[in-house]
Amino acid sequence: MTPPAAHGTSSSRRASAGQRRAVVLARLRPYVQALFLILFITLIMLAWILGDRREWANLFFRLDPLAGAASMLAGRRFLPALLLSLLTIGLTLRVGRAWCAWICPLGTLLDWTPARKQPSAAFGPASPWRRIKYILLTAVASAAIAGSLTFMLLDPIVLMSQMAGRVFLPLLEQIFSLLERAGFAISWTRPFASQAVNLLRGTIFPLERHFYGGALLTGLVFAGILALNALAPRFWCRHLCPLGALLGLLSRFAWVRRRVDASCIDCGRCARLCPTGTIDAGRSYASDPAECTTCLICQAECPVSAISFTGGSIRPAPAQGYDPTRRQALVTLGVSLIGVGLFRAGPNSDFLNPHRILPPGSRENDLASKCIRCGLCLKVCPTGGLQPAFLHANGQDLWTPVLVPRMGYCDYSCHACGQICPTGAIPNIPLDIKRTVIIGKAYINTSRCIPWSEGRDCIVCEEMCPVPDKAIKLQETQVTTAAGQTVTVKLPHVERERCIGCGICEYQCPVAGEAAVRVYSPVVERG
Amino acid sequence: MKHIMSRKKFIRSVTCAGLGLAGTALLQACGAPATPALNRITLEPSPTAVPSAAPTLTHTPGAPATLPPSPSPADTPPTATPAPSAAVPYLAVVRGASAEAITRQAVNALGGIGRFVKAGDDVIIKPNICNAYHGPEYASTTNPEVVAALVKMCLEAGARRVRVMDFPFAGTPQKAYEISGIGPAVQAAGGQMEVMSKANYRQVDIPAGQTIKRWSIYGDALDADVLINVPIAKDHGSTRLTLGMKNLMGLVLDRGGFHARGLHQCIVDLNTVVRPHLTVVDATRILVANGPTGGSLDDVRVMNTVIASPDIVAADAYATTLFGLTPADVAYITIGAERGLGTADLNRIAIAEIEL
Repeated sequence: MTPPAAHGTSSSRRASAGQRRAVVLARLRPYVQALFLILFITLIMLAWILGDRREWANLFFRLDPLAGAASMLAGRRFLPALLLSLLTIGLTLRVGRAWCAWICPLGTLLDWTPARKQPSAAFGPASPWRRIKYILLTAVASAAIAGSLTFMLLDPIVLMSQMAGRVFLPLLEQIFSLLERAGFAISWTRPFASQAVNLLRGTIFPLERHFYGGALLTGLVFAGILALNALAPRFWCRHLCPLGALLGLLSRFAWVRRRVDASCIDCGRCARLCPTGTIDAGRSYASDPAECTTCLICQAECPVSAISFTGGSIRPAPAQGYDPTRRQALVTLGVSLIGVGLFRAGPNSDFLNPHRILPPGSRENDLASKCIRCGLCLKVCPTGGLQPAFLHANGQDLWTPVLVPRMGYCDYSCHACGQICPTGAIPNIPLDIKRTVIIGKAYINTSRCIPWSEGRDCIVCEEMCPVPDKAIKLQETQVTTAAGQTVTVKLPHVERERCIGCGICEYQCPVAGEAAVRVYSPVVERG
Repeated sequence: MKHIMSRKKFIRSVTCAGLGLAGTALLQACGAPATPALNRITLEPSPTAVPSAAPTLTHTPGAPATLPPSPSPADTPPTATPAPSAAVPYLAVVRGASAEAITRQAVNALGGIGRFVKAGDDVIIKPNICNAYHGPEYASTTNPEVVAALVKMCLEAGARRVRVMDFPFAGTPQKAYEISGIGPAVQAAGGQMEVMSKANYRQVDIPAGQTIKRWSIYGDALDADVLINVPIAKDHGSTRLTLGMKNLMGLVLDRGGFHARGLHQCIVDLNTVVRPHLTVVDATRILVANGPTGGSLDDVRVMNTVIASPDIVAADAYATTLFGLTPADVAYITIGAERGLGTADLNRIAIAEIEL
């Protein structure tokens, strides 16, 4: 956080009205950034207790034009909820890439991360590295046209959401767990521990620790992005961010742009302070509107008030050396399409994973073409059963949600994933209908099941089955054990027409390791 | 090489054609249905369960019924709450339309709440809130009015605080408390709902245990001044019925371990260390099939009955008769009686049967 330094001007020169306003705004900006960052994390933390209003938790995704455009393209569908991104587009057409400096939570974290003040000339205003983000944007768009949203993992809001839901908040929960255990161990702190549990467990924190695959990987990628600040401030925003590239393209038509008038004295201050390093000393301190994030630091700091941000025309800003050429754009399009084709060439995820259980309604809805990998469903699932598909998934389905019943079942009284999904990849189904939607079918492994293989009663699976006329029935049968005894046991049988595949049987099965009853992918009619 | 068309023109025409195709595809897709047809099960009405033959109760409106000959010393309840005098019945059964009224009458018939709760006591009431699936009318969780009545009585007796809790095996506690109706009812009555934290269970020795010798039990339930057990009478796939002795499994985290080691013996072992001072069996609505979760109103029988006793075995034994069964039909009741936790012989104890 670098609030603008005090003015080093002579007292005889009065700052212009525009500059006075810029000083106020530039001082305000870190607080606005902090507000949006806190709002972002708070919405994710409150995802569960917002109840039927939990769609508020996906606000930032609905404001993200890249998420909106990509999911509508890939899903071949118009999604009214994502129209909110028109606000961001409107803002950008008005004042340029203000999202990046004022709203973007990743941008805020990058501003707060220590950075190399004077980057090498290789990352200067005319650096060809700036082209990479346009290439990445083209890749995201091309893959979306081909129906694949796997590259949405490059979206900054997606990255932040993954970070918050799977790294930051679980770390916070671990700290709370330690305090909780200590609180209950000491007798006089027990009432406080009880109160804390009543307030925080099952509300902000899950009832018990949730484990998420890929947390370490997500953390490392995120740390890597922050570490890139060692090369230049906001390295990600300048060179890599596809959302920044999209907003940059729009900013070339922005109404309000940065202008430098003739009173400039060549002090070079603005060029040194610019966070995206787009002010070019070699071109009279002009900047590229597609790179300028409207942070207003340059205007606040100019000793002669030579800089202003004013409206004028919507003529596109001049092209820069690092704008991708048509050839490069076409090559990227081609490579992306080939990449998606290669994803599809591999075995599809149902071959790789016989237990591919998807959130209710999402399998029929073609999950992979609409899921922007935001990870909100993973975060809100109260049992922690939804996991990001990684090892047993085709490239198309990377990081989409998959239910792992041994880690958490699909709660019979919950439809939070459908309520929170910003793109409707998981449809928002009313609870009474969701209770009849088939997401899988259970099968008993009789060689592991206790009554079947050991001749002793167990029946946990039948007890837990939530379907009103249970999908697991017990039959009293005489069996002969390995020791030669004949005993009467209650053998469980799955009545598959009634099974919805919620997985509570597999979750609760007392057999250690792989459960004796497992949910398999549902049979869906081919064609 | 023959020059057919300039590269620029070719690329331009291909791009336009591609965009045109994509555009038409997009427009077509805009007309697609918002939600495709879902893969669903069909819910058939469940087969009507065999209706239980409720025994006819001897009733005297108002006053407690006449008592059989005074019980022999072998029949005094081996619980934490000895009877103040031989005139107080061993077990009370009250039947009536108002859940609160019959609960109050049942406790009064046993000598009043003051027999169990003293001023300043820390009371824990353990109802059955085992899941968050269905509302109270489905008889899967204890009747909230019964629980609320007990909360009010404990506060009237001067209890320092009254906490109500359970650890559902399905759903979050908050959801289960809300959907069962117990949360709002308890709060309106002045009690507190508590979320049971995994960190608050502790390993407890079970010296009288035959299958298990040491298990993790919720600490506060062991430390409380008074523990009141309020199960709902339900059918159960494994134990045939789930009543008071089984309801205490809610105070244990690892229930799967009980199932894997022999459920009936483990339930009795648990009951040797967790001794509720009072057991109130909610039989206002009972679940006769597809228990313990239920889900169909066809499986519910309205019995408008409450059974109360300081002897958990006797309370469970009487409850079996509401299903047309005998105590011998439920193994953990018989084993409990054999191991000296109480009596299952309904003919040898003083039972007050009251109709309101």
